[in-house]
Amino acid sequence: FYVRASYQEGKLEARLSLLQSAVDEYNKAKNEFAAKATEEEMRLLRFQRRVEEEKGERVLGYSLQDTMHCLLAAGLHKQAEQLYKDFRVPDKRYWWLKLSALAEKEDWDELEKF
Amino acid sequence: MISLADRKMAAHLSYGRVNLNILREAARKELREFLDKCAGSKAIVWDEYLTGPFGLIAQYSLLKEHEVEKMFTLKGGRLPAADVKNIIFFVRPRLELMDIIAENVISEDKLRSPRDFHILFVPRHSLLCEQRLKEQGVLGSFINIDEYILDLIPYDGDLLSMESESAFRECYLESDQTSLYHTAKGLMTLQALYGTIPQIFGKGECARHVANMMLRMKREFAGSQTQILPVFDTLLLLDRNVDLLTPLATQLTYEGLIDEIYGITNGYVKLPPEKFAQKKQGEGGKDLPNEPKKLQLNSAEELYAEIRDKNFNAVGAALSKKAKIISAAFEERHNAKTVGEIKQFVSQLPHMQAARSSLANHTSIAELIKDITTSEAFFDNLTVEQEFMTGVDTDKVNTYIEDSIAQKDPLIKILRLVCMQSVCNNGLKQKVLDHYKREILQTYGYEHILTLSNLEKTGLLKPQTGTRNSYPTIRKTLKLWMEDANEQNPNDISYVYSGYAPLSVRLTQLLARPGWRSIEEVLKMLPGPHFEERQQLPAGLHKKRQQGENRTTLVFFLGGVTYAEIAALRFLSQMEDGGTEYIIATTKLINGTSWVKSLMDRLETLPF
Repeated sequence: FYVRASYQEGKLEARLSLLQSAVDEYNKAKNEFAAKATEEEMRLLRFQRRVEEEKGERVLGYSLQDTMHCLLAAGLHKQAEQLYKDFRVPDKRYWWLKLSALAEKEDWDELEKF
Repeated sequence: MISLADRKMAAHLSYGRVNLNILREAARKELREFLDKCAGSKAIVWDEYLTGPFGLIAQYSLLKEHEVEKMFTLKGGRLPAADVKNIIFFVRPRLELMDIIAENVISEDKLRSPRDFHILFVPRHSLLCEQRLKEQGVLGSFINIDEYILDLIPYDGDLLSMESESAFRECYLESDQTSLYHTAKGLMTLQALYGTIPQIFGKGECARHVANMMLRMKREFAGSQTQILPVFDTLLLLDRNVDLLTPLATQLTYEGLIDEIYGITNGYVKLPPEKFAQKKQGEGGKDLPNEPKKLQLNSAEELYAEIRDKNFNAVGAALSKKAKIISAAFEERHNAKTVGEIKQFVSQLPHMQAARSSLANHTSIAELIKDITTSEAFFDNLTVEQEFMTGVDTDKVNTYIEDSIAQKDPLIKILRLVCMQSVCNNGLKQKVLDHYKREILQTYGYEHILTLSNLEKTGLLKPQTGTRNSYPTIRKTLKLWMEDANEQNPNDISYVYSGYAPLSVRLTQLLARPGWRSIEEVLKMLPGPHFEERQQLPAGLHKKRQQGENRTTLVFFLGGVTYAEIAALRFLSQMEDGGTEYIIATTKLINGTSWVKSLMDRLETLPF
């Protein structure tokens, strides 16, 4: 319920607070997975805002995968790497992503590196 | 008066064992009566969703005969100008539609041309909706508020559907039993026309509900017994959640694949125009048509009736055989010597030309489908499906699914596969399940957490509980996997999925012979109760069965049925020693994609 409402919130702060309520509800319902996933989403939203402010890349509201793709495409390898570690993204998926993002950009130098 | 064209339109309904045209005629009669109630010229404002199903009942010509001059689609604001006396709204009983109607009516009044407004609710009148109109202050503007009971719509000679898109979602996710009530009502209408059905079997919670409602309605109508010799011997009610697996699998019959790839709605399919472009000669082929090619698909088309239920791998051979027959028929003209012979040849021409264009169409469709079925992606996907169905490594994280997620394949494809694995493993280990869920959320976005929770609530996705995986037992007892499925000349229903025999149809088959008592154990493993009821027939209506006469069973799928399941039932009807013919009814014709989609929650995300 809170999740649904949160998506109708155009403001980041309001959405975060609704998501926090969702976390509380999920915890009450002992739905550990959903609570954790929701917390992760909040963390991601905050991260995205930081990137937007600092680097000017529009990523707010994207899925984790799309965010990383966007960062790699923009050459922000450090930030992408950080997400990969923070969110414990499986190696396989990350390499796939890195390959496709770099190939799209035709950034062969960076591809050579691994 | 029924026009000739119209009679042709509905010809496919009277081919079958049970003449479903009677039902269509009854529906048309009621529509005519309503239209005549509103004297003078009319405009109909359509709830867009209803136009497809209505097209199967009545063409524009029928409406025209009853002074319907204009038709509009229901939308907000003011109605388009029309010089008519009556405005009739054809709508589903939904509150949001009431608001639109109110808006229409209010803006219309300002124009001071006096009109009569009417509403026709399909399929059921709703007090809540009337209340809403009252709140909006427009209830008084309506002269007639009526209901048009359209529950079961005839789709083909042996197929009825309610086309209620959200029935599965309502029944199994939202515990809303409105559609079950409509089902029971629809079955009562059917019995009023085709006689009381003496035997009712069922499996599942919803089936139980429907049967209870039917028996109660019958008690309420006691005394007004219909004196009609029963057409159906048996009714079988099946819950979709008894067999969640079948719709998840990719259908491999011709019609099933057309539906999987292009989607069939209300008996029509829209195809990419490129393949059909060159057919029109003399246009220079300059401008390719951009409109998709729309084709009607039903058994009235001889060739389609022949190939629709075949495994796709057998369609090519059937088409080339047909091509030979047709060209041989055209060659006949050289042999025609006498005037009589030539005359006979000419009289057959229209039929032959129709056959030729039908052949051309289906050859094009088959080519389109073949491009897809021979692709690597299709093959890989099918291989994984078949591994799951045969029970290979269903308890581990599947690498193909992981790879597909990494490449961001369509989400529905992923969900179908993950659900299938879950169903075949009677639930996934918590760790495996969480891994998939995390992968999906991280890749496709957190908002899909709602969709995942819907899938869990309906049992399509679930964590494994302590008990042993019952799927292998079910598979073995019911012979759901046939190693040697014969696609060309099938000897078992498993041909429709090239090896997998749909559980729902297997249950139907076993009910006819040797009866469910033999599979008592397995039935207990499947969700919901199974039961048997008998309805008393008035004396003198007991059917005296002739030697060798087949029984007729109506199979009702609550929550949807796929074309492949229909094909499998038709196959059973045609078996020489089958002894039973099947008529199929359902709340909705579905495939895995449309089904999973109906369970998804799409959030309107406001951009930041």
